[in-house]
Parts: sequence; C-alpha cells; structure tokens
Amino acid sequence: MVGRKSLDASIRLYALQNVFVAALAFVLADGSVHLLAAGALLLVVKGILIPWYLLALLERLDVSHEIESYLPVAPSLLASGLLVALAYRVGQGFVLAGALMPEAVPVALALLLLGMLIMSTRKKAVTQVIGFLALENGVFLLALAESHGLPLFIELGIAIDTFAAVVLAGILMFRLKSTFGHVDTSRMRDLRG
Amino acid sequence: MLFVLLFLPLPFSLYALRDKNLRRLSLLGAAVPLVSIVLALLGYGDRQAALHLDGVGLFYLVIADALFALVALYALAYFETAGDARAASFFAPFFLFLFATHGAFLAHNLGLMWTFVEGSTLASALLVYHHRDAHALEATWKYLMLGSVGVALSLVGVILVYALLGGATLDWQRALELSAGADPARLKLAYAFLLIGFGTKVGLFPMHAWLPDAHSEAPSPGSALLSGTLLNVAFYALLRYTALMAPAGLAGFAHGLLLAFGLASLLAAGLFMFAQRDYKRLLAYSSMEHMGLAVYALGLGVPWLAMLHTLFHSLAKTAAFLSFGNVLLAYRTKSMARVGGLMQALPGTGALVTLSLVALAGLPPFALFYAEFQALWHSPPLLMVLYLAGLSAAFAAVVIPIGSMVFGTLIPPRSVPQKRALLAVPAFLLAVVVLLGLFPPTHEVRMLAEVLTWKP
Repeated sequence: MVGRKSLDASIRLYALQNVFVAALAFVLADGSVHLLAAGALLLVVKGILIPWYLLALLERLDVSHEIESYLPVAPSLLASGLLVALAYRVGQGFVLAGALMPEAVPVALALLLLGMLIMSTRKKAVTQVIGFLALENGVFLLALAESHGLPLFIELGIAIDTFAAVVLAGILMFRLKSTFGHVDTSRMRDLRG
Repeated sequence: MLFVLLFLPLPFSLYALRDKNLRRLSLLGAAVPLVSIVLALLGYGDRQAALHLDGVGLFYLVIADALFALVALYALAYFETAGDARAASFFAPFFLFLFATHGAFLAHNLGLMWTFVEGSTLASALLVYHHRDAHALEATWKYLMLGSVGVALSLVGVILVYALLGGATLDWQRALELSAGADPARLKLAYAFLLIGFGTKVGLFPMHAWLPDAHSEAPSPGSALLSGTLLNVAFYALLRYTALMAPAGLAGFAHGLLLAFGLASLLAAGLFMFAQRDYKRLLAYSSMEHMGLAVYALGLGVPWLAMLHTLFHSLAKTAAFLSFGNVLLAYRTKSMARVGGLMQALPGTGALVTLSLVALAGLPPFALFYAEFQALWHSPPLLMVLYLAGLSAAFAAVVIPIGSMVFGTLIPPRSVPQKRALLAVPAFLLAVVVLLGLFPPTHEVRMLAEVLTWKP
C-alpha cells in the first residue's frame, strides 16, 4: 500500500487486507458466535461496502488515479520498513497477559503506524481516507489480538461510525473537486496561524 | 426513560432534513433540549442496559441541553438577519449532534461512550461545513481527518483498558472496581493513548491544529456549540478515565500528565492569541486556553473544580461567540482591524462584546475568576508561577482588542441588526455567569462529582 502508485490498487489492497482480518476472526472464532458475527460485519462493511464506495467515488470524481506523495516511492518504503521495525521493537510492551494472539500485536501496531504515514505523506484527499482506514484496521486487529474483540454492539457502533466518516469524506471530496477543481490537500493552505 | 432521552433528538434530525421552515425548526431546536432537561432530572440515577445517568453525566447533560436550547433561539434571529438561504440545513446536524452528545453523557459503557464521542465529531463536522465555501471545506476536511485519527488513537486506549480488565467488562462502575487489579505499567500506556486521543478533541497543545479553523469557519451559532458542548464531550471522557486511574494507584501519574498538557496548552494558547487578527480565531484560541485550565484543574486532583471551570467556560464562551455573531452580521468581516467604535455603532452588542471578553479574561465578578482563583489556591508554588504567566498572557490578549473594537474610532457597520433575540440570548448567558460568580455552586457540584472519587 505504501509503495503503490495507483489508487485503485491501493483500494483493492485495502479490501484484501480486510478479507484477511475477517478470515483471522473466523479462524479465531472457534465456534464463538460473537467473533463470527464480528468477522462477518467486518467483511460486509469494510471488505465490500467501503472499497466499493471508494472505487465508485474515484470513478465519479474524475481525477487521475495516480497517487501523489510528498515522498517518492523508495524513501516511503524505507520509512515504512523503519516503522514496521519500530512496531516489532515496542510491540512486546503492548502485549497484555492473556492476549489471544500475542504475535499479531506488532502487526496491528505496524498497520496503525503505516496508516499514519500514508495520511501524513499523501497529497490526495482519497489517499488520506485510505490511510485512515488502514489505521482503523490496525486498531481492529489490536482488539482481536488482545482479547476476543470488543463487545459486538460496540463493534457495530464503530463500524457505523467508520462508514459514516467515509461517506462524509466522500461528500467533502465532491465539493473539493467542484470548488477547487482538484482534491490535492497540499494546496489547501488558506487557514493558518 | 433513559432510552427516550437518548433517542429524542434523532427523529427531529430526520425531520429537519425535509422541513424548510426556519421558525418551526428553531422552536423545535429549543423545545427538544428543554424537554430533555426535564427528562434528565426525572431520570437522575436511573440505569438501563449500558446507559446510566449519574451526577457527572447529569451535570454535563443539563449544561449541553441548556446551551442547545439558547443557541437554537439565537440561530433563528441570526439566520433571518443574515438572509442565509441554507439556514434550514443547520438544524439536521444540530439535532444529530444533540443525539451524539446525549449518548456520550448517558453511556456508562466505555466502548459505547467512544462510539458517541466519534459520532459527535462527525455531526459537528457537518456544522462546520455549513457555508460550503472553500474555507469551510478546508476547515471541515482538516477537522474530520485530525479528529478521526485522534479518536482512533483513543480507541487503542479503550481496547487496552478492556483487555487489561481481562475482557470482562467495559462498564465504567465495574471497571472502577476492577482496575485495582490491572497491570499498572500497561495501564499507563493505555492512559497515554486515551489522553492523546481525547486530548486532540479537547484541543490540547500540540494536537489543537483543527480547533481554530473549525471554530472560525462554522456559522456563529455552530461555533458556540463547538466551544460550549463539543469540547466538554471529550473532556468528560478524560474525567471518566482519569477516575479509573486512582484505584490502580496511578492517580499521581495521570495528574502529572494532565498538569503538563494543561499548562502547555495554556501557555501556547496565550502566545497564539497575540498573533490573531480574526476575532473568531481569537475566541477559538481562548477555548484552547480554558480547556487547558480545566485539564490543569483535573491534574490538581480536584475534579469538581474542573467541572466548574468547564461550566463557566461553556456559558461565557457561548455568550462571546453569539455577541461576536452580531458583530459579524453587522460588519460582514471577521477581521478585528475592520471593526471599530462598537459602543457608538451598536451599543447593545458593544456592551455584550466587552462584558463577554472581560468574563473570559477572568475578572470578578464573573464566574471564571472564582474557578481560576480556586485553581491557584490548590497549586504548588512553581506551577502557580507558570499558571499566572499563562493567565496574564491570555488576559492581555483578550482585553487589548476591546480598546480598538469597542471604544476606538468609529467604523460604520454595513447594516444594523434589529432582532431582540440577538441581544437577549447572550445577555441572559452573561447574567448567569455573573450570578454563578457571586454564588458559586461549589457544594452542589462537589456532590455531583462524588461518583468520580474512588472509595476502597
């Protein structure tokens, strides 16, 4: 996701990521209805609904599908390598007694940090949303790894919030495009001080 | 009862999407919160599923509802005077925001509370977006991105707390009992995430970047709601989590962090305020200052004082944003340099602007003086010096503009707003601030804050 130049590929990678996390939830479920339901929820909302919405958005926004970044690909990959290393380095500190899957904790942290990297280095509004979603996935994975996920009705609330945030961001992007003629956040510099 | 209270604003939010009658919408906007206050007083102490209305929840719920009602009344006069064609679209996010606020204050489950705090971010982003122009878009985008990341980080904290309690419960009361047995080192980590995350929404330095943009680009009634209630929602979450630290023996750790962040915000805001040319941004930074002060009071280990401070700040800041709303209506500019001689041009508004700024500066007999004095009283000497330094910077930054804007050479306004509500609402709020300054409800708030103190 960090190295890709094409937005479509990024979104598909995001969808794939969700399918994996959902699969993980199914594997961990071990017959628990709660985890099965959480996995199904994740699969529907984040694996299908959000990527589909983003792709449709991209289509209708009619902007170039190329990712523009403050950082070229090579340094981006280097930075993400460093962040992953950092996540593994500090990861042990986050593993709690009784964690369901201690080895996934650093992965979750890495995902969280990479999401932040994407958000802060990419110029296009769409990519910032993808970064946020990756970050959010890291948080979900963390919940899965540390305990049996959060209670279901709270997972549901989080999923609704995330979806609403993405829809709102989509509406804003349309307005950005029609007001400025681009969705480049690096050119939004009027408000400061 | 609590479910009725929670869901009461939601149908109105849908209704407001269709209705274009401003008068009806704003009367509903005043009536729904007033009914909610009655319901809240009746439902005090109730517990239903994951909802529970205790003293602290009631305190913030009543403040929020009262402010929503007053702002709705003001909004009618404001939008009619402004001739805003999109005015009716203010009310759908208004009710949605009210719903999220109710949820955050009623939720006794930490995860549910998180959901509603994030919901309040989304609903209030729609308020910021009201004008739909380039600046509003930029402000909304930044707010949405920064706010969401902040709240996502606090979710990491929520998850860690949940796992630390053995995945047993997220109920706050139960968590308070169980947190004594949690691993202190990991609990510290969780608290750091919670403080950074919710601190972003409180507007603590250095995570405050969204705050001045969002506050200055929202329409004036919206700015008042952001400052008066949105910041309290996130602060309320901090209050709850700080209370959880005490049973684990981490009160000292939490207080140290809160004092540091509170003072940093106070000092930073004091400096930023001097650089402002735009009066709405000045008020936004003043919110950052006062939230810093409230966090500081929480760090002193006196939650009731922090609650008092947020109460006084909410009232005074709402009065200020509404008074300056009149200035914006008359001058159509947010630049301080292009407003002058308010006392001659608009005597009523001039007086309100002066009084609300003086109230925010913390002069007696206004209530913020009492809160700041109490905080000083509880401070150790070294912090007292820093506190006073920040306070005097902020004081000067708020008081100096009064000279030119209110008493300086007259700059004629483009129009003179006539509606009575434009003056009556902020005047009422200021009267309450004076009354609370003369008779501070210390005892009552202490009783309400009782639930936050942990007794083994």
